[in-house]
Amino acid sequence: MVLKSSFPEITTFGSLIRFALELEKVATSLYEGSSKTYPNVAALPLLADLHRKRSQLLEHTRQQKLNEMILEPIYDLNGNDYALSPNGHSPSALKELIKMAEIIEDKSARFYSDSSRLAKSLLAESSRIFQKMSKENDDNKSKLKTIAS
Amino acid sequence: MSFVLHIMVIFEQSLSWEGRNQMAKLMAKLKVVPERLEGSQHLPEVKKNYGVLKNYINGEWVDAEASKLEDVENPATGEIIAQVPLSTARETAKAIEAAQEAWLEWRETPPVTRVRYFFKLRDLMEKHFENISRVQVQEHGKAIDEARGETRRAIENVEVATGVTSLMMGYTLEDGAAAGIDEEAIRSPLGVFASISPFNFPAMIPFWFWPYAVACGNTYIVKPSKQVPLTQEYIFELIHQAGFPPGVISLVNGSHEVADALMDHPLVKGISFVGSTAVAHYVYRKCAENRKRVQAQGGAKNSLVVMPDCVLNRTVANMLSSFYGCTGQRCLAGANLVAVGDIYQELKEKFVEGAKRIKVGYGLDETVNMGPVISGDAKKKIERYIATGVKEGAKLILDGRNIKVDGYPKGHFIGPTVFDNVTPDMTIAKEEIFGPVVSIIRVKNLDEAIDLIHSSPFGNAASIYTQSGPAAREFRYRVQCGNIGINIGIVAAMAYFPFAGSKDSFFGDLHGQGEDAINFFTDRKVVITRWF
Repeated sequence: MVLKSSFPEITTFGSLIRFALELEKVATSLYEGSSKTYPNVAALPLLADLHRKRSQLLEHTRQQKLNEMILEPIYDLNGNDYALSPNGHSPSALKELIKMAEIIEDKSARFYSDSSRLAKSLLAESSRIFQKMSKENDDNKSKLKTIAS
Repeated sequence: MSFVLHIMVIFEQSLSWEGRNQMAKLMAKLKVVPERLEGSQHLPEVKKNYGVLKNYINGEWVDAEASKLEDVENPATGEIIAQVPLSTARETAKAIEAAQEAWLEWRETPPVTRVRYFFKLRDLMEKHFENISRVQVQEHGKAIDEARGETRRAIENVEVATGVTSLMMGYTLEDGAAAGIDEEAIRSPLGVFASISPFNFPAMIPFWFWPYAVACGNTYIVKPSKQVPLTQEYIFELIHQAGFPPGVISLVNGSHEVADALMDHPLVKGISFVGSTAVAHYVYRKCAENRKRVQAQGGAKNSLVVMPDCVLNRTVANMLSSFYGCTGQRCLAGANLVAVGDIYQELKEKFVEGAKRIKVGYGLDETVNMGPVISGDAKKKIERYIATGVKEGAKLILDGRNIKVDGYPKGHFIGPTVFDNVTPDMTIAKEEIFGPVVSIIRVKNLDEAIDLIHSSPFGNAASIYTQSGPAAREFRYRVQCGNIGINIGIVAAMAYFPFAGSKDSFFGDLHGQGEDAINFFTDRKVVITRWF
């Protein structure tokens, strides 16, 4: 399993969505790769699928929810606070995998929650989507805890 | 700034000491695959070069007869990305005749059948959404988000036009003429229409008109700007795939010879134009002389009025997108920043601070806020305006000239520019610059701000930023502009609302889009019926 990522700085709506797509890419790759290593853990392919669908939702959001009247520059989100860069790895134990996944879900939850607050003033529809995604990340963390136990 | 940090660094911050040790062991086993997204990296271009463009006439792609070709330049890279033919009057006439021939059958095609082609086109445009947007960036230079927004607008016009079965309905009144005599009005299509478009919205502007015209049963010819013909070329391939009957919708590339041929030909029933005021006036006059319907949208000098009670941070963020979005090359872009009363100092500081943070570059880089202007000539013209501002005594507090964008030495870039101490009599306060240049003008009160707006011959748009209902109401009531923004700096009417300016910003009566478009592209025929 090789995970790659490249997070842009967040200055525009497009770069915000690109950043989110990178987060989803990392999560999808991690769960997809791990589900092969741990075929008995049923939650892993489901989580991979969930993150794959979220990427589609983000692309849909970029295409459908954008209104150029209010495309204001974004200055308030620091990508360093949310970036991940797993430059290629293969967790050697399930426990390590869960720990990594929890971190990814946690950072994603915070990213979507903060983006949702920001997007409220720009694109209300996107704000609701981000809010929902943040909640999903929190739910995923609970699922991961169940696997760990 | 772009960044790639090692997972180890990030994970370590989140782990306990024991966890960190475990993670360090884990990382030692990892294969590192570095991948960097540098500031200069961008989304892929659809094509590097589009070759010599063709016309689309009578349902076929045809080589232009014209021997004259002009280069199409990517304004960010300076590369030549296509050549556009300057088609002749003769081949324009061929397109018109084919459109007239097609009209006879298209007019008899039921509206419900006509709109099915639009549903197909809409789906194709959604499928090609990203490519349509990227082609716009390549030929125009705007930022990718702006291009995506523009593509969305084009699609929205198709969507609204699919409602023609309701929009085009006439009306009937029983006993409308007298007892036992009914009266009805029927909307009928007229024949061949055409549009002449500017460079600033390569995808959207033809869509303010042609979907409504064709859905109403007319046939249509699009003449795109010779500076940005690629987006329409791309979209016309989708139109072809959607299967519109031959001649119903055609594309003729070229310059004023094509425009004049369209305006002179007796079979053309009406023209929709968007461009400068001088040319809009010419088009209006010429079409009137030739007994055609016309809607001619011209230039603008839009004022954004900031009241002392505005929500300053939100106001500044919104104004930045108005002044610098599309590099100031929108007919709805802010031009004069009118500071009312004691908001001036804080507003100026915050606005300049925000303007300095605008990232300038190639629009295919998703982190870029502002791209280049359309051409070297446009850049020189804007620089001349900046020099004039300095000469006339305005204070240049942010100078966008001589900006350098890494990796794009041939790009026509101008950075955000701000003038302070501008007075209404200065050239930069009065004339349309069509670039990222902001003139800050101080006024004492709302009355003075409205007087300033009314002193301009233009009347395209004006906005007010305030939390006061009465002030906003007064502004909306009194200001003589076609589009009024209240805490919105880009007053771009949605597809289901009419769009045009007032005064010298628009010559005509029926606007583009929505119900106005339906009225422009149909005749109202009255039928009075009595049965013996």
